[in-house]
Amino acid sequence: MKMSQNTPDKDEDQTSTSQKTISLPISRVRLIMKSSPDVNCINQDALFLTTKATELFVQHLAVSSYNNRAKQETKSLSYSDLANTAEENDTFQFLTDILPKKILAGDYLKSLEQLQEDDADF
Amino acid sequence: MDGDNSTTDTSQLSMTGGEYMASGHYVLQSQDGEYDGEENMNDHDDSGIKENFREQDIYLPIANVARIMKNAVPQTGKIAKDAKECVQECVSEFISFITSEASERCHQEKRKTINGEDILFAMSTLGFDMYVEPLKLYLQKFREAMKGEKGIPGVSSVGDSLGDDLTDDSFSNPMPAGIITADGQQQNVMVYTTSYQQIPNVQQIQFS
Repeated sequence: MKMSQNTPDKDEDQTSTSQKTISLPISRVRLIMKSSPDVNCINQDALFLTTKATELFVQHLAVSSYNNRAKQETKSLSYSDLANTAEENDTFQFLTDILPKKILAGDYLKSLEQLQEDDADF
Repeated sequence: MDGDNSTTDTSQLSMTGGEYMASGHYVLQSQDGEYDGEENMNDHDDSGIKENFREQDIYLPIANVARIMKNAVPQTGKIAKDAKECVQECVSEFISFITSEASERCHQEKRKTINGEDILFAMSTLGFDMYVEPLKLYLQKFREAMKGEKGIPGVSSVGDSLGDDLTDDSFSNPMPAGIITADGQQQNVMVYTTSYQQIPNVQQIQFS
């Protein structure tokens, strides 16, 4: 089973917003769906809808994050733009756990100390 | 996970017992999956447990994901590599999110197969109702496209059309038998056909 993140896909059509075709591998989508507990059978329509919805989701997330990006001048979408969008946008709240804001270890330890001091005050 | 994702590996940074859980701003998260202001519809802690059971980290190919992102943002826009990888993970999360909601509804209604309606309903419930109408349209077009390619499955009797082609005349004259001599000089392989009356709706098969 391919678990690599960098597997190039050769099969699918180029246009992602094409009306008839989809640009994501359906079999892989099914695999992910099946990895949910208690999932038995998935009908064809459900599979198609999920795959198509995933396309829409990627577009939605990319555009929202891009428009919301911290550094407007760079025209580049970064990880932290995504993390910020997840936190600020209700629709993407479910992503906050897998999009933690990155923090330098040093800063983290400092804030820990701060918390400890606060607790000690009580 | 591959690559330099060590900073997002919560197990390395979290404290035991989750005592120092900040209000969702940082990497820390408690083991029981407590979320800050999340509209999580699940009544059970599956999402929290899933975070720890990452052996099934199946993703969609990054090339496909990156392509969709690239087409979505303005032409001049760029996407950082870690952003692409991150969206790849988000996608798997999204699929699981929708699927588990749809699956739950299926179970409640004592059904075993997740159908299109379940998926659409799940999306609506989870805050993706803006996708529902476009998706219905896509599904319609997809169905039409599939019908066009496959054609209507033939339920009508095959023999009727063949009966038009094969007339009785074809089978009325027996063909001369092939002569195969012992010394092998003259060997004719002829087609043997039976000369019995053609039975309607039954295709006559020729062996040659």
